[in-house]
Amino acid sequence: MKFSLSAVIATLALAGFSAGALAKDVSLLNVSYDPTRELYEDYNKVFAKYWKEKTGDTVTIKQSHGGSGKQARTVIDGLAADVVTLALAGDIDAIATNAKSIPQNWQSRLPHNSSPYTSTIVFLVRKGNPKGIKDWGDLVKPGIAVITPNPKTSGGARWNYLAAWAWALRQPGGNEATAKAFVQKLYKNVPVLDTGARGSTTTFVQRGIGDVLLAWENEAYLSIRELGPDKVDIVYPSLSILAEPPVTVVDKVVLRRGTREVATEYLKFLYTPEAQEIIARNYYRPTDEKVAAKYARQFPKLELVTIEDFGGWAHVQKIHFADKGVFDQITAN
Amino acid sequence: MHDIDTLTKIRRRTASSLGFAIAIALVCGSARADELTELRDRLDAQEQKIKVLERKLELEEEAKKAGAASAATVKAGPKGFSLGTADNANVAKLRGVLHFDGRRYFDDVTPSTADTFLLRRVRPTLEGTLNGIFDYRFTPDFAGGRTIILDAFVAARLAPWATVTAGKFKVPVGLERIVSATDMRFIERGFPTSLLPNRDLGVQLSGNLAGGAASYSIGYFNGVSDGGSSDASGDVQNDTSGDWAARIFFTPFQSSNRYALRGLGFGIAGTYVDSTGSTATTLLPSYRTPGQQTFFSYRGTSGDVLGTYADGERIRITPQAYYTNGSFLALGEYARVSQDVTRVTPTSGTRSASLDHSAWQIQLAWFATGEEQSIRGFKPNSVFSPKDGTWGAWELAARYHELDIDDDAFEGGADSFANPATAASKARAWGVGVNWYLNQNYKWSLNYEVTRFDGGAATGDREDEKALLTRFAVGF
Repeated sequence: MKFSLSAVIATLALAGFSAGALAKDVSLLNVSYDPTRELYEDYNKVFAKYWKEKTGDTVTIKQSHGGSGKQARTVIDGLAADVVTLALAGDIDAIATNAKSIPQNWQSRLPHNSSPYTSTIVFLVRKGNPKGIKDWGDLVKPGIAVITPNPKTSGGARWNYLAAWAWALRQPGGNEATAKAFVQKLYKNVPVLDTGARGSTTTFVQRGIGDVLLAWENEAYLSIRELGPDKVDIVYPSLSILAEPPVTVVDKVVLRRGTREVATEYLKFLYTPEAQEIIARNYYRPTDEKVAAKYARQFPKLELVTIEDFGGWAHVQKIHFADKGVFDQITAN
Repeated sequence: MHDIDTLTKIRRRTASSLGFAIAIALVCGSARADELTELRDRLDAQEQKIKVLERKLELEEEAKKAGAASAATVKAGPKGFSLGTADNANVAKLRGVLHFDGRRYFDDVTPSTADTFLLRRVRPTLEGTLNGIFDYRFTPDFAGGRTIILDAFVAARLAPWATVTAGKFKVPVGLERIVSATDMRFIERGFPTSLLPNRDLGVQLSGNLAGGAASYSIGYFNGVSDGGSSDASGDVQNDTSGDWAARIFFTPFQSSNRYALRGLGFGIAGTYVDSTGSTATTLLPSYRTPGQQTFFSYRGTSGDVLGTYADGERIRITPQAYYTNGSFLALGEYARVSQDVTRVTPTSGTRSASLDHSAWQIQLAWFATGEEQSIRGFKPNSVFSPKDGTWGAWELAARYHELDIDDDAFEGGADSFANPATAASKARAWGVGVNWYLNQNYKWSLNYEVTRFDGGAATGDREDEKALLTRFAVGF
């Protein structure tokens, strides 16, 4: 069979024309938790470029940020999110249960329990650590003002709370009652409860309130980057919690909007080395082993408990954060 | 020797005094430093407290703003009662219209039983908006001892130029029909409205163009006879085809510096259908006087004598205009309907014809109390309050209107489409009225209309109708 050059050119032109003619504009809404603004600003640019090269389509990703619990409730109330990238699996479980827009087995659809990155909770203190805050026990001392968001609305706040609880349990004679008492004392030292982690960062960093901020590790590093290393210091406590912010496609929405393919790829791309680099540069702990090894010095090793140590999110939500749960009890007055 | 000892003693005393003074100063200085540190700490603590309070206020404001979108507001006022979110994206409104009429006739042709009080309109309305763009309305009417669904529709305002409406609503063709019942200057609408559709079931695309200087609508409806509504046929399709209806209307000077022309609006509308009725369901109208007495009907079926029915095209066209300037309003409307009809006659077999009926009106209104005229609602400058010496708004109105039946309707003697002995070939009416707006919601109207006829009697012309109409109207 002879190939006619003009036929080849015509075919390529037709393919190119077809692709151009069929190339479409598509938009996604990513409903995320509070501190991921910078991460997804960087990530979205890279993903849009990747998607354009792969399919010819132009994808615009709109972001919504807020306290993880609040964001989940907004999605349950009808906000048409194509994907949710929240602070904890419990908030996505709530969407699956109440809105029925995500299957119950959502967490098994992506690697690492649908968590492309992890983080932990650290202390951000004033430069020089004038109040000598070294560990959780220092947070309940008189005169120490602790900044942490409201666990009713913020996913990060729930990680903070559980990390404090876990530390208290580990103390000599520690049990549920002493842990509760400890956390109660801690919240007595909290002058302002923001709705989300970014709000708490604003309170501590911009408004200059408090002696210590219980922060997402990435928020702590971002604060140093923003303010400069001469304003704040990071203190790693002796024990913290492995925070696993999960991601998932919202099936009902992508089915209605016809965005399943791009939404799924948007989340899968988070696991690629290129995306994991962006994740690490934004101070989240990457799950890719090679990238994690490359940034090992940025992320000190520390003893971490997990949500499984508490019996899972369903149990924790019911005991601690539901109405009239432990948090409501200890902050009742 | 003695001096040296004295000097030494003095030196020693001075040194010890000095040392004592330094010690005192050090102790005092230390105490002051402690005091300063304490003051500094207290100042820092106060500053922190102030910062905390400021931050809490800030968070409260943020929460208030976020809550405003979903916070409910309840309003009650001249425009009815409403419940909705602060941003008005989701609103439910309860409104209503109540018209209590009186009719009295001073002619010899209208039977005395026609003198009556009646509830002309009893219409509660539930309407609202969902998600900022989806409007809905539900209006039943309980007047006349029956219950009908007057309006029931949803409208999606997709863009200023594109609103999709579906359900039962006014077919937007007749100018005076489009004017709300609460804003009419006369108690009953004029003759042109008799030729044009009232409410029907259908789907419509409409919108504003050129920044609101023009509006259009195009829709497809089940189809109703002249002046009719779909509830006459049980709100279902009763003919073989639906009606297309379209309208375009211009208000090109609404934002102009030419203030004298700002109140000018003009346009044209029409409907088209090609449909066939039957002797049982004729699809043909009757026409009534301003006093609501029937003066024209087609021949109906009686025993073996078959009546006239619609058979073919019905084309309506209506140019229309209004003008307002200060307290003055003028409204003009012309309507023409071309209706194909058929009748299986007693002697001439099947006859068919295309009959052209036309009507027009000119209406004038003037606020004697100086209010600004508007085609759509207005607010009186004062409310009726004798103790305050205010009397509400007074409006005078006058109109002339005619309806002319195609002479071909009466050709053929017993085979005619309409009986000239009972159906008039023309009606001409003039009327005067006064409207007293006690406040924005309550109006009392008085009309006097005289209607003259050509034909419509066994011999000569039907006698004039002289009707005195009153209305107590509440609308909110």
